[in-house]
Amino acid sequence: MTSEPEEIPDFSNLTCTNLMIRLKILLKKAGPGAPVDCIVRRDQRDTINVPFSHTGYDVKIRKLDTNRYRVSLKKKPGLDP
Amino acid sequence: MTSHFYLLGGSITPERLSWIEESLKFFFVKLNPENLLHHTKSKDSIFTFLLTGDALYSLQNPQTVPVWEIILSMPSVKIICDSKELELRGISVGPLKMKNPEQVIDRNSLALNGQPSFWKDVLKFARQHEQPVPSTVGYLQLESPYMHQSAHAALQYLDAGVEAHASVDIYAYLDGVHVGHLGQNPSECENIGTGLEAVSEKAQKKGLSCQMIACGRCAAARGYSTWDDGQGVVISTCSIKPFRIRNLKEIIDQFERNHVILAKDSAYIHLKKEGQSSSTTKSEDERKPPITILVTRRPYGTEVAFGAISFAVACAYEGIQTRVIFIEDGVYALMGDHKLEKGTHFFNLQEVVDAVAGSKNLQFFVFQPSLTLRGFSKNRKLNAVLDIGIPELGQLLFYPPSGVSANHQRVIFF
Repeated sequence: MTSEPEEIPDFSNLTCTNLMIRLKILLKKAGPGAPVDCIVRRDQRDTINVPFSHTGYDVKIRKLDTNRYRVSLKKKPGLDP
Repeated sequence: MTSHFYLLGGSITPERLSWIEESLKFFFVKLNPENLLHHTKSKDSIFTFLLTGDALYSLQNPQTVPVWEIILSMPSVKIICDSKELELRGISVGPLKMKNPEQVIDRNSLALNGQPSFWKDVLKFARQHEQPVPSTVGYLQLESPYMHQSAHAALQYLDAGVEAHASVDIYAYLDGVHVGHLGQNPSECENIGTGLEAVSEKAQKKGLSCQMIACGRCAAARGYSTWDDGQGVVISTCSIKPFRIRNLKEIIDQFERNHVILAKDSAYIHLKKEGQSSSTTKSEDERKPPITILVTRRPYGTEVAFGAISFAVACAYEGIQTRVIFIEDGVYALMGDHKLEKGTHFFNLQEVVDAVAGSKNLQFFVFQPSLTLRGFSKNRKLNAVLDIGIPELGQLLFYPPSGVSANHQRVIFF
C-alpha cells in the first residue's frame, strides 16, 4: 500500500465489525513491517485504536476533518498478533 | 432437572437430524452415562425438541422418522409439536406417538384466550432456567416477513412472553430488519409490523420492557437508515415506532446478558458449572453466555454465511466466547481457493476467515462428516479452521469454553 493520499481507502461507510475484518485482511496481505492506511470516522477511530494497539500493532491517528481521521497501522516487529 | 432444548422451525434434513442424533449419543454415552443406567422416562426431560413450521415434516418423512425413533430411545428426550402447524400441514405424528406416547406431545398449553399455544410452551422452557425467573426473553430474527414464517413465529413468541409477564426483545439482523418496515399491509397474512407495535404497547401497559433493535448495517443496506448523525443515532422515516436502528454492537450488548435468546433454528444448552468460584471473583466476560454459530448455508448465494461470520466477529470482540462451526452446506465456504474480482466491495469469505481466525474469543471449526458427504476436503491454507467430528462437536456443544461461568450456551443456526 502506498502513502499517496488519493490512494488511501476511505472506510468511513463501513460498520465497525466490517472495518475490523477489512483491516485484518489488509494487514495480513501487507505482511510484517508494511503499514496499512485508511480514512475512518471518529467512532471507527475509537474502535480501531484500543484493540489494535493492545494486540501488537503500532497505531497512528491523524485528524483530517471534524469526522475524518487517517489511521495508519503497522505490525510491531517480533509480534504475531 | 434443568434441560437442554432445541427450537427448530426450518426444514430438518436427514443430515441435520443425524448429527443431532450423534451428538446426543455422545452426550449420553461419553458425558452422562449415568442417565443410561437409570433410564427413567420421567416427566423431566433432559433434551426437549420444540418443533414448529417445516421442522414438523421430519416427523413423517421416512428418511428422518427412523432417526427420531433412535433419538426417542435415549433417556428423557421429548418432542413438543406445534399442534396448529401440524394441523395446517396435515402431518400425522400417530405412529411415533403410538410408540412413545409420553415423549411425543402434540397438544399445547392453553393461552389466556383459551386457544392452544405452542409458544406458551416455548416460554416455559425459555423462563425455567433461572432463579428468580428471568425477566427477559429475546429472539434473533434473520428473515423477512411474509416470505418466511419465522417472522410470524417471532411475533407469537414475543406475544406469549408479554402474556407471561416477561420483558421481550427482538433483534433484527440481515433480512430480519424488514419486520420493522412501516406501512406493511398484507392482505392474506397477519400484519407483522402492526403486531410488533401491539406487542410493544402491551408490554408498556404491563410495565415491561420491550426492545426492538435492528442492525444498522443491515438496515442501511436495505434503505432504512434515512438519517444518521455519524455517532450511532439513526432515524428512519420508514420503520415502525418501537424499532431502533443501531450499530450491531447494541445487539451484541444484549447477547452479553444472561437471558434466553432464541431464533428460528436455535438451541439452549445448559452448562454445568465447573468448580464454583466466588461470584465476586468472576469477571464480566466469564458471565457472558458463550455462543456457537452454525454456518449451514452456502457462502455466496445469500448474505447468510457472511452475516454469520460478521456476527461472530462482533460477539468475540465484545468478549463473548464464540465458536463458529461450518456444517452441512456451510462447508462450501472452505472448498477450493476462492478468488474475488479486484476492487469489488464484497468479501472473499476465505480471506475473512483467514484474517480473523486467531482473534481473541473466536474459534473456527469444520464438521468433517459434512465435507465427506459432499466429497471434498477443506482448503489446506485455512489451517486456522479445525477439523472436528462427532466427539469434538459434542464437546463444543455440551462443555463450556474454558473460563466461562455462564449457566448456558446459545446455539444459533445461520
